Amino acid sequence: MSQPLMVNRYRWYELIGIYAGILAFLTFILAPFVEGFLVSLKPLSQLFSSPYRFIPQNGSFEAYRTMWVSVPGFARYIFNSFFISTIVTAVVLMLVVPAAYAFARFKFRGSGHLLGAFLAVNMFSGAVLLIPLFRLMRSFGVLNTYFAIIVPGVAFLIPSAIWLLRTYMMRIPRELDEAAFVDGASHFYTLRRVILPIAMPGITVVAITTFIGSYAQQFIYALTFNSKTEYAPLPVGLFAYFGRQEVIWNELMAASFVGIAPAMIVIFFLQRYLVSGLTAGAVKQ
Amino acid sequence: MGQLNLNTVQKFYGTFEVLKGIDLEVKNGEFVVFVGPSGCGKSTLLRMIAGLDETSAGDILIDGKRVNDLPPVKRGIAMVFQSYALYPHMTVFENIAFPLRVEKMQEDKLKAKVENAARILHLDQRLQQKPGLLSGGQRQRVAIGRAIVREPKIFLFDEPLSNLDAALRADMRIELAKLHRQLKATMIYVTHDQVEAMTMADRIVVLNAGEIAQTGAPLELYHKPANMFVAGFIGNPKMNMLPVICKSVGATGVEIEFQGQTATIPVEGRAGLVGQPLTLGIRPEHIQFGAADLAMTIAPSVIEHLGAHTVAYAAVNGEGENFCAMLPGSAAIRTEETVPVGLNAADCHLFDAHGIALERRLELGDVDIGLLNAGAV
Repeated sequence: MSQPLMVNRYRWYELIGIYAGILAFLTFILAPFVEGFLVSLKPLSQLFSSPYRFIPQNGSFEAYRTMWVSVPGFARYIFNSFFISTIVTAVVLMLVVPAAYAFARFKFRGSGHLLGAFLAVNMFSGAVLLIPLFRLMRSFGVLNTYFAIIVPGVAFLIPSAIWLLRTYMMRIPRELDEAAFVDGASHFYTLRRVILPIAMPGITVVAITTFIGSYAQQFIYALTFNSKTEYAPLPVGLFAYFGRQEVIWNELMAASFVGIAPAMIVIFFLQRYLVSGLTAGAVKQ
Repeated sequence: MGQLNLNTVQKFYGTFEVLKGIDLEVKNGEFVVFVGPSGCGKSTLLRMIAGLDETSAGDILIDGKRVNDLPPVKRGIAMVFQSYALYPHMTVFENIAFPLRVEKMQEDKLKAKVENAARILHLDQRLQQKPGLLSGGQRQRVAIGRAIVREPKIFLFDEPLSNLDAALRADMRIELAKLHRQLKATMIYVTHDQVEAMTMADRIVVLNAGEIAQTGAPLELYHKPANMFVAGFIGNPKMNMLPVICKSVGATGVEIEFQGQTATIPVEGRAGLVGQPLTLGIRPEHIQFGAADLAMTIAPSVIEHLGAHTVAYAAVNGEGENFCAMLPGSAAIRTEETVPVGLNAADCHLFDAHGIALERRLELGDVDIGLLNAGAV
């Protein structure tokens, strides 16, 4: 059916209103990206020209080359960011998948309170707990390691991941577990052979949000718990473009775009698993 | 072997008693149907036999062995769920093979078993497809296939046909009956559909509010319901109930008075009934045109023409409503036009004030040749 459903039909002025609304919000969201990209194309001198021009004259991708030269460790920062986020995501998934299954399927004393506690933890941002965490890290002697950036990242991302995945798993019909149980499968066998494959879209969503979340939040832990440049992730590394005298804005912008590229690629690949209708035919609905 | 015994099996949810002491014996190879209105505890009972729900009190024995604390797989049962419960990401082959994979069976043996099950269920051509591509009937057959490969002692079916449309349900009923003959396994089948119960069962267990209302062969329940509940539940449309007064109890039966007429109903009377109010039950299909042992007039308010039959809902002698009469398809009746009808004393059921039936003087061998043979064994 190429015709829109009756429910999706709008009058012309409604359509104009809808698109005007979309345009307004998209402008706010996308304008910084557009401006950032344009800045990365401009030679540094043009950035402070008056009157300011948005469209670069004789713009070039020169900054995308020079950025590697002026900050030689930049590739390492990208790798660090990528590495930290990947490890965080892997660890979160390993812990959260069985936990979410347990919360979704088993009744046990205190499960409601635990879930509430997870939500409460989410209300503290990591920043509030930085000082205690710092002391903890120092007494363990793990400051200035990957470990110091990864562990708090995992800890703060687990609660929302459990909530997300638990909701998804609760939608998987309980009869599937029961059928597997009747056939003699253990809980872990059921989780591995039945639940995991069906929960794949949910797990992908959790993986993506965790990866993005880790990419965004690692900045704060890296800044506090790490002073070694070789472990610095991308957001900290970007500071290298802040010189004593001036900020190399065009290279900074170029580096920002290059830095988020790996994350974009990962998300692009993960979203292929976001197939809907995976449970079709499981039970009669 | 697949002998099942339930000894005063009880189930509590908190203090609420869902099942009030069920005693039942199911013989090896028997097809037993649990039937009852929703909420009567029939599914709970099945899940307790399966080992999915815990038994609060009483014993469940399979082949003489107490299985209360065993997991389903050790009980030797297999279950088919109402919602099929197929694994959507696996092919039909893998779905059927699932219990064998759990057992870690060798690949060649596994393949032979799955293919055998698929042949029995006519799924040979579908083995490499995913459940999402199958029709409702095929999905249900896959679910049955998953039960067959385990070669269980007892098959448990939890309303397996209620998600299918009417035509498919009739086909699957026949296939299940054939399958039962082929496998010669004990089958316990839960349904709320009395047609399924009547057509497939060797024995029907009617449950009402957590108790067994009656156990018996399909025609036994139809002809000799033990109480008003079973009388009303078995048979479609429902049996009509009329208030009567007991006049006398004699050797030929119980004489009753109904709106000034008297008739002798051939049932086993007992002392202390005379003068008591009784309930006379008459099935819609036993009502005929013209006067018989008891006569009355009906003025139908609704008439349903089903082709083979005409079903009339009416007030009797101007009183009450929803008295139901099933008349021949060619019956010349119209709404709001009074017609005389009658019923024969031999077709009537009588129930005392507690709803317990007075046993009809009817040899079941006369109505069910199968029961005659069963009695001879």
